[in-house]
Amino acid sequence: MISINPKALATGSESMINTPLDLHNLSPEQVALDINKLNLHYGKKQALNNITMSIPKGQVTAFIGPSGCGKSTLLRCINRMNDLVDDCHISGEINLHGNNIYNKHVDVAELRRKVGMVFQRPNPFPKTIYENVVYGLRIMGENNRRRLDDAAEKSLRSAALWNEVKDRLHESALGLSGGQQQRLVIARAIAIQPEVLLLDEPTSALDPISTLTIEELINDLKKQFTVVIVTHNMQQAARVSDQTAFMYMGDLIEYSDTNTLFTTPLKKKTEDYITGRYG
Amino acid sequence: MNKWFKSGSPWIWLSAGGVSISLISVLGLLWLIASRGLSYFWPSELYQFDLTDEQGVKSVVIGEIYDREQIPVSQLEHLNLVLAPEQEVLERLLIKTGNRELVSLDFRWLLSHNITKTQTPKDLAVVERRTNGNFYGYIESVVVDGQEVDSNQLTNLLERVEQFQQKIDVLQKSDIGAINYQLERLRLKARKYQLQDKLTAERQANIDSEVANLNQRYAKLEQELMGYREEISRDHIIMRAMDGQLVTINFEYILKVTYNNQLSTVDKTALFFSQIGSFLIEDPREANTEGGVFPAIFGTVLMVLLMTVIVSPFGVIAAIYLHEYAGKNAFTKLLRIAVINLAGVPSIVYGVFGLGFFVYMVGGSLDQLFYSENLPSPTFGTPGVLWSALTLAILTLPVVIVSTEEGLSRIPSAMRHGSLALGATKAETLWRIILPIASPAIMTGIILAIARAAGEVAPLMLVGVVKMAPNLPLDGNFPFLHLDRKFMHLGFHIYDVGFQSPNVEAARPLVYATALLLVSIIVALNMTAVSIRNKLRERYKMLEH
Repeated sequence: MISINPKALATGSESMINTPLDLHNLSPEQVALDINKLNLHYGKKQALNNITMSIPKGQVTAFIGPSGCGKSTLLRCINRMNDLVDDCHISGEINLHGNNIYNKHVDVAELRRKVGMVFQRPNPFPKTIYENVVYGLRIMGENNRRRLDDAAEKSLRSAALWNEVKDRLHESALGLSGGQQQRLVIARAIAIQPEVLLLDEPTSALDPISTLTIEELINDLKKQFTVVIVTHNMQQAARVSDQTAFMYMGDLIEYSDTNTLFTTPLKKKTEDYITGRYG
Repeated sequence: MNKWFKSGSPWIWLSAGGVSISLISVLGLLWLIASRGLSYFWPSELYQFDLTDEQGVKSVVIGEIYDREQIPVSQLEHLNLVLAPEQEVLERLLIKTGNRELVSLDFRWLLSHNITKTQTPKDLAVVERRTNGNFYGYIESVVVDGQEVDSNQLTNLLERVEQFQQKIDVLQKSDIGAINYQLERLRLKARKYQLQDKLTAERQANIDSEVANLNQRYAKLEQELMGYREEISRDHIIMRAMDGQLVTINFEYILKVTYNNQLSTVDKTALFFSQIGSFLIEDPREANTEGGVFPAIFGTVLMVLLMTVIVSPFGVIAAIYLHEYAGKNAFTKLLRIAVINLAGVPSIVYGVFGLGFFVYMVGGSLDQLFYSENLPSPTFGTPGVLWSALTLAILTLPVVIVSTEEGLSRIPSAMRHGSLALGATKAETLWRIILPIASPAIMTGIILAIARAAGEVAPLMLVGVVKMAPNLPLDGNFPFLHLDRKFMHLGFHIYDVGFQSPNVEAARPLVYATALLLVSIIVALNMTAVSIRNKLRERYKMLEH
């Protein structure tokens, strides 16, 4: 792990501009997601221990921590992707608009439309670029050609991909480069206008230039969506996020605005991690 | 030596050797059936042999050389041949002499020792006939309407007969066939009313008038037919056979007259292709030993297509259930093992099952419910093309299930998760993402199923194949596709012609030709499926992760 000088980071961080939110006393309008005493077991092994945190609306929240700390698991709880894992048991609540998403009567497909997700590796479908982007809309039953066209253009523009692909919308998405594919996947996720966008290490499979493009994109996306990003790259967390949560061994160790966390961490473990003493 | 062993070369040689042996055996098989099968269509030279036997009796034999073999003299001691002492083997020729009305055997062995003279006379002709096989001899005279005419008229006369023959075919197959079909339906209709006690006088009168009407048309057509028949039987030719006997052959029975010894290579090639053509499009004659195999081609292809239409959806649905929905427990594992083992059950067992279950149980019940007017003669309660297709569908089901499941398990979970994360349900994901990506694997299953089913004969003998089907399962009479009909199949045709026909020797080249055709058809069906699969693969090509 590269060691980081917290002061150098702080000057580059955009979170300096905003007044930091008091994460423990958010008003209900400010909250996008409210995680309450969340425990998760894979079989007998506990992967998340009693996580409680509030994720503010319209901001970028980053989860950092060493491999296996549960940051991705926590992210996958938010759109219930962990339901697909056999032998996974969850207790506690995650509230979206005050409704627990783990309630029995929640329509999971409906939830996932509100909480979009982008995975570590780009996973475009073996279809055309256009069909990839409008896939979610087609699932929702939208078949009007005009509306689909508009949505495709809008999403591709938001994902900063439009100029590169506008002349080959009807060619296979698999012909795009890795970075383009990842932006296509982001376009696909935002085409259905989710409220929250989950990014699971979105740049770990990409080259530095593509990573930079995606990071710039994340900055734009927070104007429309609440963004939650998991990253193992601390510089990235420092560059793109407003809040950062540090997790270790399934525990949420420290959660505060990014600036504070990287400059004056309260916990010893956090300091050790960000200064590169383990990880 | 040890070094050579360690370098891995022996394994390379071993595996390359294995590949070569397989390749050589496949090519050898193809070469054998192709050469034997295709030579059947090549017009061969006609020979006239002058013979003198040991007693000094002279005779003449006319025919085609069919086979040659060398036999040791010791086997022929009983003939008391006068031979040079150093001679140890003698050549023996198998001659196809035809002329079945004169000699009951088509073939004859000649010892080359007895042949004093071999000629290929230019005016020797072979007459291909509708019945009684070929006739070899010289054309003595052509008689038109009782008047002898010049023999160069022959071609025109044959063409004239051919035209009438075509009219007769149309009349018999379409017009008269349709009337017969309608008469049968009217009979069944009357019977149905009778069974339901609804046969009122009015209905009876209606049916009677329709029957009368049809019978009237039938009589008219029959008259027309008789007219044509008379026309074509007007002329005849007189042939001189090898022993000097004169034989009259009516034009009615003549298909083709060729002077093989006058043909140039170009003519022979043209004749070769036209013979292949007629083999493909004509109906069989003479207990299948002559003529074409069209009904068998049609039956094979139709049955395989029907089977594909039945097996694909069932196999895919079963695989989806096993892979996507069934719980991952011991029972599912057991089920999967059972499915795989089904592929190892001998095909005749499927035939027995098809006969017991489909034909007698399902077919019998269908007859009771819907075709009771036809009983006691069965409609579906008897072997037929539908039951054959269903039986083979069950036989090939495991193949489709296994390859579809393999295809499903090869799809990266990222595809599923990507779709699910966009708010698609599991069913939507399956339908829109998983199945298209798995389609090449499904096609592989279908290809294997077709290859297996098209070559299967044993079960079909129990559930629908016959030696000679009077009608194709598809014709111009409503409802056009007659799934209850029996059908002919190339595989069974080979068995029948080669081993069950009255003239096994004569039919042998036909066996090779039919085998070649069967292989070509299976290859053609497979190639179609493979090209579809390759298109799908290209389209749903996966990311190289």
